[in-house]
Amino acid sequence: MEHTFGNAMARLHTWAGVILGGLLFAIFWMGTLCVFDREIDRWMMPKTRLAKTSDISLDHLARAVASTVPAKASQWRVDLPTDRVPTLRFSCRDGAGDVIARHLDPATYQIIPDQGTKAGTGFIFPFHYGLHLKWKDLGKWFVGLAAMTMLVLLVSGVVVHKKIFAQFFTFRPRKGVQRGSLDLHCLTGVIGLPFHLAMTLSGLIIFVSFYFPQAQWGAYGSGEGAKAAYTAEAFGSFTRPRADAPGTLASLDAMASQAEREWAGGQPYFVRVWHPGDANSYVELRRSYAGDITMNLDQIYFDAASGELLHRFEAAAVMKVQRFISGLHFIQFDHWTLRWLYFLAGLSGCVMIATGFIFWLGARRARHARKGLAGVRVVEGLTVGSVTGIIVATLAFFAANRLLPQGTSFAGQGRAALEIWTFYLVWVACFIQAWWRPAAAWREQAWAICVIALACVLLNSVTTGDHLIRTVSQRTWAVAGMDAMLLLLTLLAAWVAIRLGRKAVDRAVQSGPVSIATEVRS
Amino acid sequence: MMPALLSVAASLASYAGFACLALAMPRHWAEASGQESAAAPHRRRLRPLGLLMLGVSYALCVYRDGPSFGALLWVLLCYAAAIAVALTLTWQPRLLLPAVWLYRSVAKGP
Repeated sequence: MEHTFGNAMARLHTWAGVILGGLLFAIFWMGTLCVFDREIDRWMMPKTRLAKTSDISLDHLARAVASTVPAKASQWRVDLPTDRVPTLRFSCRDGAGDVIARHLDPATYQIIPDQGTKAGTGFIFPFHYGLHLKWKDLGKWFVGLAAMTMLVLLVSGVVVHKKIFAQFFTFRPRKGVQRGSLDLHCLTGVIGLPFHLAMTLSGLIIFVSFYFPQAQWGAYGSGEGAKAAYTAEAFGSFTRPRADAPGTLASLDAMASQAEREWAGGQPYFVRVWHPGDANSYVELRRSYAGDITMNLDQIYFDAASGELLHRFEAAAVMKVQRFISGLHFIQFDHWTLRWLYFLAGLSGCVMIATGFIFWLGARRARHARKGLAGVRVVEGLTVGSVTGIIVATLAFFAANRLLPQGTSFAGQGRAALEIWTFYLVWVACFIQAWWRPAAAWREQAWAICVIALACVLLNSVTTGDHLIRTVSQRTWAVAGMDAMLLLLTLLAAWVAIRLGRKAVDRAVQSGPVSIATEVRS
Repeated sequence: MMPALLSVAASLASYAGFACLALAMPRHWAEASGQESAAAPHRRRLRPLGLLMLGVSYALCVYRDGPSFGALLWVLLCYAAAIAVALTLTWQPRLLLPAVWLYRSVAKGP
């Protein structure tokens, strides 16, 4: 092979993709699901499928949670209902620093029993940015590495697949799997380039103080004091010590109305009481960003006893830019059209990665078989496990949620942990199956997706009574949408599995793989 | 109702825009019209028309949602529309025939 720029880029694109494609698919898949993480929460926590209530009295709320807040708690906080989360989310830190978190019914202010699941926001979302590998933040470093690789892949991809502009809008599935998957890879890659670039870059920028702390060290120095100074200036914070004397709490509703006046109509999205019951207690209100891309950092602090305004914070210009870029990635705003478009764009990113793998495999299958190389077999197992395998595992996670009775525990693991064990065990099983039976793994895992997705819908209907007709008529859109997507996945997986089955028969009758690998390099 | 209509209109405009850009390419023109394209002069006019439609789509998005949400909506609508045009060309290229006729009737004019 000649040592040209194009060839160097081709090697880079190929090998970076093969080595980190599996990890990238996992991050893309989980990120795509995160678009609807709150809706997944509703599906997995049936007792939180409530109607939204707009009239919340913070004073009533404070009286209702008073008995739940332990003595010497350093703070308690309640997140107010939104269009996507109908419940009040109460959390507090006891004297030892342990967190207690509960959902409250917004109509009665009563605690909803723990639903025994980490669901979307507790499992899928942290998986997306940290892979649940907490040791030395290894997960976040892997995700950072994957993101940098993604940037390299996007740029090298444009160089390698030079024909993408001449063949814009071209997808030829009838010309075989190889041709079709390369077309689809280029199509989603080039049309999605702005989206993928924006998501990857903004993902890195969200964690700027983790991946690139040198920037803040340069300005503030390193060490705990410098870190606190940076946090206070960038994100805002107000603290004052306990007085260790009993204190009172003035009207929270009055503070909320004053905050709304200060914010010119902006609504608070959470209220937090620091040092509850102490004479030096103070109240923090944060401004909602449901109506804006930028996730503002506006906050107001009041003296708990008098209701007097103590401190007000708004982010500086640079932080506002950072929060705008973060907002593009986090999509915490209320905009259903955009939310669905993000979901579709995320799925097309998954398609881009999967088709890249399929093309790599197709280009080498015949040659490796002839030369007795193991490469294709290893990568095929990796591909099946990381593409269909993670989908099967996610569905198993949903199914376990509907199958395990509340309060179950096994081998010292609670219900929420058992769901997560199900995910990982099923995922590992998918990898094992893919390496063990490479010829049939695609089709069999497609059937597994089909069956489990359908089972999830049926289980939801049986265990909660919320079948699709009822959720649609009652406008419980979160649950209806989740069920509808599962049914769509059932049909899609069945279609793919049947086609793969037919192909397997065809291949048995006549074989003649056509390699068009040279096209990429030409 | 109005926002829904505006997003439908913006989606259609971006779809039409990408359809024009696709038809400006000889290969896709041939697929949609069913004829091998000679060195037709159509490219010159279809491309600005496509860009104009994308501009209309952008204007509708910004009118609907303001500059920041509007721009974001436009970028993502364009993504979806371009994929939709590609899939149309794959499975039902004849659906783009109206655009071909429209172009021809305009091109024949003075």
